Amino acid sequence: MKGTDGLLAARLAAGDEPALAEAFDRFGPAVYHAALRVLRNETAAQDVVQDVFVELWCHPDRYDPALGTLPAYLIVIARNRAVDMVRSELRRVARQDRSGRLAAEESPPSPAEEVIASHVAAAVRAAVQLLPDSQRRIVELAYFGGLTFKEAAKVAGIPEGTAKSRIRLALAKLEDELDASLLESS
Amino acid sequence: MTAAGRDQALPVGLRERVLAASLQARAAGRPEPAAPEISPAEAFSRAADAFHGTLGLLDDRQWKVPALRGLDVQGLVGHLAGVEEDVQRGLAGDPGVAGANHIESTQPAADRQAGRPPAQTRAEWRHAADRTIDLVRAADLRTEVAVHGIRVPLGLLLVIRAFELWVHDNDIRAAVALPPSVPDASTLTLMTSAAVGLLPFAVTRAGLSDPLSLHLVLTGPGGGAWDIAVGQGPPAPAAVAIVTDAVGFCRLAGNRITPAGLDSHVTGDEDRATAVLAAVATLALD
Repeated sequence: MKGTDGLLAARLAAGDEPALAEAFDRFGPAVYHAALRVLRNETAAQDVVQDVFVELWCHPDRYDPALGTLPAYLIVIARNRAVDMVRSELRRVARQDRSGRLAAEESPPSPAEEVIASHVAAAVRAAVQLLPDSQRRIVELAYFGGLTFKEAAKVAGIPEGTAKSRIRLALAKLEDELDASLLESS
Repeated sequence: MTAAGRDQALPVGLRERVLAASLQARAAGRPEPAAPEISPAEAFSRAADAFHGTLGLLDDRQWKVPALRGLDVQGLVGHLAGVEEDVQRGLAGDPGVAGANHIESTQPAADRQAGRPPAQTRAEWRHAADRTIDLVRAADLRTEVAVHGIRVPLGLLLVIRAFELWVHDNDIRAAVALPPSVPDASTLTLMTSAAVGLLPFAVTRAGLSDPLSLHLVLTGPGGGAWDIAVGQGPPAPAAVAIVTDAVGFCRLAGNRITPAGLDSHVTGDEDRATAVLAAVATLALD
């Protein structure tokens, strides 16, 4: 018969239910921890594990034993799924951020909201001033200038990927700064 | 990894959740990718075309090469022409072929090929096979047909006939040193399903009466996975699992390899697994 991985894959292709359980028992932990390392979130990592094994069970022929071991193949799928999940989350946050700005323009705030907003805005602007020049410039273009990441990158004369990584770093710093400054004033 | 180690490494319930989601997405037992479904009549027609193709590869000298049971290639083709004639009589409800012996009944058709030009034998067999195909085209595949000691629905009979043509195709190929042929995945699927369906009957006929739970996995095109209760009485909790490839299993069912010659992976009682495989080999009509 074929090698261990090849035999297991052939059994999966035949629809052998014990082979599915065996694959999970042998490789499930490695797949889970690969996903967890990327996502840092147990629930999301479990979703990835489910995706990976459903994929293996439904399309066992996509694994080619000549190209590598079965655990290596599964871990690559897990990492790809996890990275896709992170990207999707970033896009969602960016969309929310943009729609939040639009919504703010559409509905006039109450006097109380205006006070809070102006307080938050002041805190945000102060925090932004503390950023390094390269990060401050791109944040101003993307968030105060209303440009997309792509447009902001073009204006700043840097690649889009660089712009995104600077924004990510900047947002992490802003979060820390704002937590501190808004908590102090509350 | 031990079960305890696994449980520590993974969140509680993840294993059950993943297995359930997987089985919901694809039911167990069915091969993936699945071969396109074809009818038993189509399987027989394809097997006949493949057999005819092999005959077309032979030169006059090769028709005289010994092939099986003292028959040369030409005599074996004559035997198959005789089988077609008996099947056609069976389709017509002729009781004379119901209990006839598969070999004795067709011997005259094999004998009459002696001294004929090979092309005449080839044409005779093709004509006989085409007549069978014509007769079954509009027939109800559930109709029972009795021929050569078996009474089965026409659909199953056609799959058994496709099986027989493939086995003899490879007898001839082996005799003249041609590489073996493998049926297409759709035909193979019908062949493995038929052999697995007849397995409990073969096991009982072989005298293995103790109940046994058999988990059979056939890999490759035409494969699948089955849980089969064999023997008499309630299924035994002690199970035997056999994993082998679909083509090898069909060669065994055609009695062209022995259980020892089958490349297989067995878990459980090896002696009982061997006994089951030996019973599978008795399915062959020859």
